[in-house]
Parts: sequence; C-alpha cells; structure tokens
Amino acid sequence: MTWLWHSQKADEYLREIKEQSLLSEAVRQCVEAAGHEHEPETQKTLLRVSHTVYSFSLQAASFGKCFLSNFPPEQFVSMCRDLRVLNAVRDYTVGIPLSLTQFKQMTIQVLIDRLVYRKLYPLAIEVCCYLKTPEYQGVSRVLKHWACYKVQQKEESDEVIAKAVSVKLADAAGISYSEIATKAYESGRTELAIKLLEFEPRSGEQVPLLLKMKKSPLALSKAIESGDTDLVYTVVMYLKNELNRGDFFMMLRNQPVALSLYKQFCKHQEQDTLKDLFNQDDDHEELGNFYVKASYKEQRLEARIAHLQSAVDEYYKAKKEFSAKTTEDEMRLLRFQRKLEEEKGEQLVGFSLHDTMTTLLSVGLHKHVEQLYKDFRVPDKRFWWLRLKALAEKEDWEELEKFSKSKKSPIGYLPFVEVCIKHHNKYEARKYVSKVTLEQKVKAHLAVGDVEGAAEAAIERRNESEIGTVLSRCAATTDHLLVERLNRAKATVAKK
Amino acid sequence: MHAISYSHVMQGFPNFFCQPNLREDKLQPRDFHILFVPRRSLLCEQRLKEKGVLNSFTNIDEYILDLIPYDGDLLSMESESSFRECYLENDQTSLYHAAKGLMTLQALYGTIPQIFGKGECARHVANMMLRMKREFAGSQTQILPVFDTLLLLDRNVDLLTPLATQLTYEGLIDEIFGITNGYVKLPPEKFAQKKQGEGGKELPTEPKKLQLNSAEELYAEIRDKNFNAVGAALSKKAKIISAAFEERHNAKTVGEIKQFVSQLPHMQAARSSLANHTSIAELIKDITTSEDFFDSLTVEQEFMTGVDTDKVSTYIEDCIAQKDPLIKILRLVCMQSVCNNGLKQKVLDYYKKEILQTYGYKHILTLKNLERVGLLKPQSTMRNNYPTIRKTLKLWMEDANEQNPNDISYVYSGYAPLSVRLTQVLARPGWRSIEEVLKMLPGPHFEERQQVPTGLHKKRQPGENRTILVFFLGGVTYAEIAALRFLSNMEDSGTEYIIAATKLINGTSWIKSLMDSPEENLP
Repeated sequence: MTWLWHSQKADEYLREIKEQSLLSEAVRQCVEAAGHEHEPETQKTLLRVSHTVYSFSLQAASFGKCFLSNFPPEQFVSMCRDLRVLNAVRDYTVGIPLSLTQFKQMTIQVLIDRLVYRKLYPLAIEVCCYLKTPEYQGVSRVLKHWACYKVQQKEESDEVIAKAVSVKLADAAGISYSEIATKAYESGRTELAIKLLEFEPRSGEQVPLLLKMKKSPLALSKAIESGDTDLVYTVVMYLKNELNRGDFFMMLRNQPVALSLYKQFCKHQEQDTLKDLFNQDDDHEELGNFYVKASYKEQRLEARIAHLQSAVDEYYKAKKEFSAKTTEDEMRLLRFQRKLEEEKGEQLVGFSLHDTMTTLLSVGLHKHVEQLYKDFRVPDKRFWWLRLKALAEKEDWEELEKFSKSKKSPIGYLPFVEVCIKHHNKYEARKYVSKVTLEQKVKAHLAVGDVEGAAEAAIERRNESEIGTVLSRCAATTDHLLVERLNRAKATVAKK
Repeated sequence: MHAISYSHVMQGFPNFFCQPNLREDKLQPRDFHILFVPRRSLLCEQRLKEKGVLNSFTNIDEYILDLIPYDGDLLSMESESSFRECYLENDQTSLYHAAKGLMTLQALYGTIPQIFGKGECARHVANMMLRMKREFAGSQTQILPVFDTLLLLDRNVDLLTPLATQLTYEGLIDEIFGITNGYVKLPPEKFAQKKQGEGGKELPTEPKKLQLNSAEELYAEIRDKNFNAVGAALSKKAKIISAAFEERHNAKTVGEIKQFVSQLPHMQAARSSLANHTSIAELIKDITTSEDFFDSLTVEQEFMTGVDTDKVSTYIEDCIAQKDPLIKILRLVCMQSVCNNGLKQKVLDYYKKEILQTYGYKHILTLKNLERVGLLKPQSTMRNNYPTIRKTLKLWMEDANEQNPNDISYVYSGYAPLSVRLTQVLARPGWRSIEEVLKMLPGPHFEERQQVPTGLHKKRQPGENRTILVFFLGGVTYAEIAALRFLSNMEDSGTEYIIAATKLINGTSWIKSLMDSPEENLP
C-alpha cells in the first residue's frame, strides 16, 4: 500500500501509527479533516486516504490481523454525502459558502428553506432526493413553494400555470393545494385558484377557501361530495346568512342532500321554516305530518282539532285518502270524548278508540260503546274480544253471559273459557266449555282442569296429538286408570 | 366534565351551555371543558361563538370514538339512530364516521386490498374511504395487511332478518331481556344466593346484572347455539364440573391436594357461571315453551316460506284484538309486507286502521316512517321477487339441524339470514354466480381495489385463512353474528370473519328507533 505515495516516509509514518494502535483514530481524523476542506480535490485526497487505510485493514483482517476493529463505515458514507451537498451549494452559481460546522448546526431543513427562498427549486429537489428526506418535509414542500411562486407569474395564463403545476405536482404526495390556491387567490387569480383547488383532496381545506372566494354553490357541492355533514352544515349556515331567503331556498332545492340536512336542523331549531320548505316543494303529505305533530303540542282541544283539520286538507291534496280519513276519524273521536268527559266526568280525551271503549265499558256505558262500534265500523271480532276482556276485568259475569248469548260469537267460545280462567273464575269458565267447537273441546276441558272431559273428547275425536296432550297433563299416580284408557285409545288410532 | 355526543348537536344543546354563564358569579370559579364525541363539530363551535360563550371554556377537544371492540371478532359504533338517519332522514353523518372508523382501522391493521359492497350506503362509504386515502397520501404506514377483504352491506338489502325472532341463546337473551353494552339485566328472583345458615333471606329487588362476552368460557361455548341445543350443552358441562369436584376424593398426597386447591377458583367460577346460565336458560324456556311464542313463530315461518302473505292474517288480527304489545304487531305486519314485496292496498289499509284504532291515532307518524323505509308499504306494480331470491339463495332449509348444524339456517331454525348468505356466496364461489339475484336487491353492488405499498402484499401460506371484515351499515343482530362465526368455524371454509356494525340491534330496538311519539313534545 505504501507504494501509492511512492514515499518511504509514508511507510514510516504508517508503521508508527500502527504500533500505537491509533489507526482508527487516524482514519477518523482524515475523514473529519476532509469535511472541513473546501476544495473538492483536497477532500477527495483525504477521503481516499482514509478509504484506502480502511480497505487495507479489512483485507488484513481477513488474514487474521485486526487493525481497525471498531471503525464504523457510516461516518465515511455520511461525510461523502454531506460533502457532495456542500460542494453543490458552495458552487459560484449558488453561492452559499457554508462550512461543515455551520451546516451541521443549521440542519438540512433550513438549508432546503434557504435554497427555496432563493428560488433554486431544481437543486432543492435534487438535494431532497439525494438525502432521502421524507416526502412531506422534502420534495412536497419544495414543490409547494415552487407552485406558490409560479402562480404569481403574471405573464402566463391560468390554464398554462394550472397545467404546469398539476403536471409537476402530480406524483408528489401530501401537497397542500389549498395553500397554493390561496396564494393564487391573493394575487387576484380566482379562476386559477379554483382550478388548483380541484386537486386538493382534503375538503376541510377546500371548502372554507371556496366560501372566501364567494363560490358558494361550488363550496356546497364540494362539501357534499366529501360526505362530511358537519362541513355541509357549516356551508348551509353561512349561505343562510349571506343569501336572501328566495335564493337560499333555490340553492337548497338543487342540492337534495343539503336540503335534507337543513330540514333536520329546522326540525329542532326552526319549525316554521320547515313549513315554508314543504310549501315550496308542494309536499302536501309532509305538511300534513307537520300539522299532526303540531296538534300534539296544543293544550286546548279546539286548537288541536284545528291543526288536524289542516292536516286533513293537506292529505287530500296529497291524494293520501287513508291518512285524511283516519285523521277525520280522530277529530270525530276527540269531539266525542270531550262531550262525554263533560257529561260523565271520565277522562277520555286522547285515548285510542280501543281504550275509550274499554273505559266506557268499565263504567257501564254500554250504549255509548255500541255507538262507537257502529260509527267507527269496528270489526266484529275485535269488538267481541274487547267486550270480553273489559267485562271479565270488571268481573261483571252476568253481563258477560248476557252478551255471550246475544248472538253467535265471531271469536268462538274458547276465548271466553280462557279469559275467565285468567281471572280465576273456573265456575264461569265451565259455562262456556260446552259451547266451544269440536276442535277446541280438548283445549277447553284442559283449561278448566277437567282432564277426564278432555280425555273423553280426545278419544272420541280419535286425534293422536290431542290424546298425547291430555296424557301429558295426567298425573301418573291419581289418573293411572285414565292413562291406561288413553294409551289404549292412542294405540288403536295409531294402527289405522 | 361533560361529553357531548354528536347526535345531540341538532337538539339545541349549545343553548344549554349558555346558562352556566349567568351563575358564574355566584359559584366558585370553575373550569368548563368540552369533549366532542366522536368528532369536533364546526357547527357547534359556531353556535357557541354566536352565543358568546365559546371563550368561557378552558379546553375544547375531541375524543375520537368510532369503532368500539365488543369482543375479539366484533366491533360496533353503537350509533342508535344510524338506520333512521340514513334511510328515513337522508342524513349520512353516521356513514362519514363509519368511513373514518375504517380509516383508523386501516392505519392500525394495514390497507384492505379489496372492497366489496352492496347498497347505496355501502357505495357512499367506499367512495369516502377512497377519497380519504387520497387525503392521507403522504403518510403511508408500512403495516402488513391483516384483512384481505372488506364487505360493506346496507341493512336495507336484508330487511327481513332483523324482523324475525332470533333463536340462538344470545339472540334470545337480547330479544327477551335486551343486551346493552355487553351487559344484561335480569329479574333477580332466580339468582338469589342461598347462603347456608341464613334462613328466610329477603329476595333481592335489584335486577341481576351480568356481563356477557367470550371471556366467560361457558358463555363462549353456548352463546351461538340454537336454544334447543343449549340444554344438552349445560347438562354436559354440569357433569364435567361435578366430576372435577369429585376429584378431591382422589387427591391423597399433599402435592395432589395442593394441585386440586389451586384449581378451585377456576372450578368455582365455572360452577357459578353454570348456575347463572342455567337460570337464564330456565327464564328463556318459560317463554319459548309458551303457546303464544309457538303461535307467533309459526306465523313468522309461514311468512318466510311465502304462505298466505297476500291476505290479512287471522293471527295478527287476533293479537291486535287482544291488544298485544305494539312492537310485536309491527314486526309481524312488516315481515308480511317484506315477504310479499308490499301489501295489497286493502290489506295494508285494514292493518293500519286496526292498529290506529287499537293503539292510538298518534302512531300514524310511525306507520308513515315504516312505509318510507320500505318495511310496510303498498304493493307496487313490480312483481314479488322474494320467492326467487329465497329459492336461488336457499334461504329456507327444511329440517334444519339444531343440535349439530351444517348450515347457517340453524340460527332461525330453518331460515338462513339473507345478509349472511350473500357473504357466504361472496367468499365462495363469488357474486358473479348470483348476478341476477343481486340485481333484485336494492342498491348498487361493486368492487374496489386499493393499492397496497409494494412489498407488503400478503403472501398466504397454504392452509392459512382469508380474513374478511363484514360491515353492516344500519345494524346487525346476534343471530347474524352467530351465523358468521359458524362460517368461520366450518372446516375447509378457508375464511375467518370479523364483524363490524353501526349498531347491535334486534327487531324491537330497530323498530323502536323508527317510531315517532309526538306526545313527547308536550311542554
């Protein structure tokens, strides 16, 4: 190796250093010295020395001689890298004569900033790439600065600049287009700003700027596109204050999503506006619903009924016949309830028809109940159930029996049995067992606890599953005779 | 410290905060903070600014709470009004939060390479996800993807499943008692602890509160079983625990006794767990063996198989006549309507009149809501596609095996949830095989791919499972979760499912969220 310098002196120096085990220190000092040199040639020489020593010692190590045990190569690599950067910026075309110490103090970030402020964009980008700075801090930042500068160039048209910017910035990630657009807007180039904003993916940045630029319809569209309803609300509220009512409603009409959200807001904050919105849309059904809801807020019955009447009118306009008729029914019912309340003192207003009838039955006002049954066309089955339950509740067994005989029950007589049992009256329940249909005989007997009767019925009907049901209700000890009989019958039936 | 939930933004809460100002002089100086959940709201801050109180708050921040893990394979946003907002009020705020939640998920578990979806909401969420990805383009995380596929499903693609009564153990607990935040409150009588030496102890009056999740061994075993198979499982467990306790007779040496004693806490916990679940099972059995339950279930299954869905059901008529709980009626009529693709005008009007006359006119608004979301509507000119869908996807499986199921239909004793069937077909053989059926269901279906950073592509080893995240937009039932777990556990399925939803629902809570009670507005 010493022949490199063709110098015998060098050989001597080297041996001295080796003996004092100072080789690694020597290499380190060489590298550091290179760093402080400004002349590339000198840098190279010093680095070459250290490199050669290092590789020599690596070779020697492979022969078992260890000279440079713990020398980390990273110092060498990073120094080369730093030197390249420094040499580049020290170049007379750039003119930043930094020393290594200054560079280390200032950090790469600041250096990039300096380059950017001097509009040395290509160089800045190259440095970033070379030093592998993360995109956010490096290339993207530089490109953003470049773009901000570019948009201020008055000579070129909006399209040209927008194209240039979009092409250059296309692949870079994390660019804040909104900052660039703001710059453009501040330079009075609104159209350019809008074009640039198209590229901004973060709607939280896009929308406020569009509002500032008085491009409200676009701001609204973008807010809706983002799906961030909070943002949409913000725009809508802003527009509410900026525009007159007519224009505001018109704008909402064109944006159904915004309209729905605004309606939600009105539901809680401004009920009357809701009415206007429905009117504007000729949405008569919704207006009807609105009046129905409003009716429940009224304390006085007259006001309540008045609202319901408005609802009826709206429902007819909307061709919702069923809703209209039902609402008319409710008005009729309310009036009826009020009248009866005044006459009889029973609290009735607001009850459902069912509850009204039940209450009236419980105080014995049967005629009125009949009236309601006819007036509101209550189906027979429901009416019978209602009467059955109300009378049993009242334990008015006499009336119940009378009513049960009034005509043939549309619900059969098993319900009578079961309801009586529910009210712990087996005696009454038994009265109806004989009246049930054949299919329900077994059930009826079992309901009143008459296992024998049930067995009779089941056997007579020759129904296997019914026999089984009765069997399951038999107590093994007391009914063993019955059980035998049933088992025999079951076997007979099964054979067929 | 007050936390404000986003859903209350519109209900005038900002006005509430203006009042403390008046009292401030009298009280000692206090710090007021606001924590927005799940997200800061510009609108709220604007309101507070308008009222002049924004600066009185020491600290304004947000607590981002999107997806909450309920179990090892279950995430929920617990957004009660999500279905109502999306399908009734055209307010898709909860979908925005769902997308944000998914972005957080991807930040932790890697970009999901494949996204499938069915429904309008699903499309919207996917669009937002792709858009949000662009927003964060500069800061990619280098994480190996855990999920292979994301499936977004609109609730309204399958309106039938939540209406049906769930028949799994956990499903029934939810149907009957209601599970909230992983806890259930039960009537205390069956859980009275019999302490020795204390006679005549008073029965507790407070409901018994139990936590339900897979950390409890027994519960994890039985939660997803059909209820009819739970009894056998419990008795088997009882034998095992008994035998374990009997071991104490075999422990002779000090070492053996010591080992037995060390096992005691675990055995006692197992015994207590068994006692709890035996009690719960008894409570449930009281209901499932009742005639009422049987009749109701029979009608449900008739509707699901297309029997008599076009006429007024005498059973429903009788239930209304006896003033059975309104929710029960609503679930049944909606089910009939869904299975018939809408009811004949005469039938619909008849049901509506019966309901309004029996339960009150005020429910007219609820009925309108149900019509709006498609649950209870008049027949349109379009033919009823439900029978075709049922046949093609094999939604009704006669003779479903409840004890040793071989198909997901066990969760409803014969009916396979449409949503889960769609998921099953997606995994194998793929949706292309059911294009025609998919077109009959509402909303678009789509596939998207997301770029995964090079070098992070998941290389699956032979025998390793695919992981699919299924996200229900609008709610998911425990029965559907059980069905998906069944698919994960099936041999040679090759797929593992993780379930996410905007809310854990059952038919009752779901219909309740669509009800409007105008009387509540009375001052």
